[in-house]
Amino acid sequence: MNVLVVLAAILFLLMTLIGGNKGIRSFIALFFNFGVIIITTLFMTVPGLNPIILTLIACVIISCINLFFINKINIKTKTAFISSIISTSLLLLFIFFITDHAKIQGFGEEEIDELSMFSLYIGVDFIKLAASVIVMSTIGAITDAAISISSPMREIHYHNPDISRKNLYQAGMKIGRDILGTSTNTLFFAFFGGYLALLIWFKDLSYSMGEVVNSKIFSAEMITILCAGIGLTIVIPITSWITAVFLVKKR
Amino acid sequence: MDIFKDKLKTVTYKQLLFYLIVVLCCAGSIIFVHNNHSYYDRPIAQVIESELIDRTEFQDSMNNEDNLFTQHIKAEIKNGYEKGKIVELHNEFSLSKAYDFEFTVGDEVFINLEDNPKETDNLTGTIADVKRDKYLIVVAWVFIFTLLIVGRKQGLFSILSLAINAMLISYALDIYLAHSHISLLLICGIAAILFTVLSLLLVNGLNEKTYAAIISTLLGTFLSLLITYLVLLLTSERGLRFEELQFITRPYQMVFLAGLFLGSLGAVMDVAITMSSSIFGLYEENKRISIKDLWKSGMEVGKDIMGTMTNILLFAYVSGSIPVLILYFKNQYPLGLTLSLNLSLEIARALAGGIGIVLTIPIGVYITIFFVTKKRAKI
Repeated sequence: MNVLVVLAAILFLLMTLIGGNKGIRSFIALFFNFGVIIITTLFMTVPGLNPIILTLIACVIISCINLFFINKINIKTKTAFISSIISTSLLLLFIFFITDHAKIQGFGEEEIDELSMFSLYIGVDFIKLAASVIVMSTIGAITDAAISISSPMREIHYHNPDISRKNLYQAGMKIGRDILGTSTNTLFFAFFGGYLALLIWFKDLSYSMGEVVNSKIFSAEMITILCAGIGLTIVIPITSWITAVFLVKKR
Repeated sequence: MDIFKDKLKTVTYKQLLFYLIVVLCCAGSIIFVHNNHSYYDRPIAQVIESELIDRTEFQDSMNNEDNLFTQHIKAEIKNGYEKGKIVELHNEFSLSKAYDFEFTVGDEVFINLEDNPKETDNLTGTIADVKRDKYLIVVAWVFIFTLLIVGRKQGLFSILSLAINAMLISYALDIYLAHSHISLLLICGIAAILFTVLSLLLVNGLNEKTYAAIISTLLGTFLSLLITYLVLLLTSERGLRFEELQFITRPYQMVFLAGLFLGSLGAVMDVAITMSSSIFGLYEENKRISIKDLWKSGMEVGKDIMGTMTNILLFAYVSGSIPVLILYFKNQYPLGLTLSLNLSLEIARALAGGIGIVLTIPIGVYITIFFVTKKRAKI
């Protein structure tokens, strides 16, 4: 039996047992999202298509899956959706500026030996691709943060319909701050886990501090972690504000 | 303007002092990375003039079209014996820039100087790498300021938690490298306990909610690691392509399992703290709520977060492989082979992390209810 099939079967079983219908939907969403990543990647190989635009389209579809398919279409998921898209676009601009300057695109000298049989002149802009990768790694966490803020805000508004827009916004910010620590931790550890081999490599080959900091791979991964943190943080005021505006205007 | 004034009034001297120190640190470190050339042994040069001298259209054997450029660069050496001298550099790059760079005026690069027999000529050299520390520090400060401004105290704690965890990982690896006979998994297991206790205490403070979350996190991650380990054993690792694991200097199964373990830890902590806070929240609101109701509400919360949490891991793991996937596709590798060659480990990580997340939901509910009952008995 294939490891992946067995693990997927166990996950499906657990999600169905614990989550019921919603668990099954969440499991299907995993597959859809994986499909979106692969299809986006395939589109990125087409010359002339801008990876950044493709990433934005992919983020819209992924947010739809994460918010509207797993949950239902309602005011909570709608404001979370708008906030996710705005945060992602802002983040993408910032990251593109950074990847353009820091030149962290493509492959590092540590990786290039394994890729020696490949043609590297493939007509795909790797600088834009680097920005896309960082945003795609974060989009799951951004939609999660957005729904975690907009959903309790809706409850607060429901229980206190007379709440002012400003107070509702502040309540949202408070909720956001409470989840900030754990959601940044989720991403940090996910990335740390992925980079473990790299860290051992740097230590084993006794790279100096200066070599580590300036190497393409290390700085790319540090920038990914930090930008993920920035993205998760800016989604808090954006979601609080948009949800407050939508809910209080509706009255 | 009035709001701003009100805000200023509420700022205490302590806070003012804190922000002053942060701003000073920021300014100091940015000035430092712009002037730290003398600390590097490798020669560094700053581009002062660049000229495109050649452009050719290029088609590789797979009919991918690209352009190759040649750049002639004059740069000023910033450190070492040759400081202040001008060096002439030659740089080739492509439109794709997968393994090359286009340099513009102001960029700083590490160079290798070539021996020049004639004293009168300009120095020549080749470009080795880019000096990236100044960009890294800018991103780090944007990160710190965003977290402090939006998150205030919690933001500060998140930054501290990231810094402490990063140091702990580095220290744990040092121990592992110094004593290779100790299993990496054992070291990561001990480190995981420290991570969990420290991060959750920092995020949530000393209280029963945190204790419940710590115990559920540890049970959840260890159980999911055990399941993954058994699956690997029973299937004799069929379908996993360990050769894609890069940067390997050590036994690869251990490195993979340890990475998987650490990777799911954050997500499991997130689930555990969400479960314990929401159940304790329900209990605080209504101290006489029945165990059955707590169990039911806890599971409802769990169902809500299960989907997005598993997706976070999927994106964090799989997205990193996009550039290498594109390289394979463009070199005419078939879809199935490309995916199985490049993604098997990432998907295994995401699935195993997902198992950890889902398992932690009932574990978290159970442990938190145990703490609630204990608290109730005390009153």
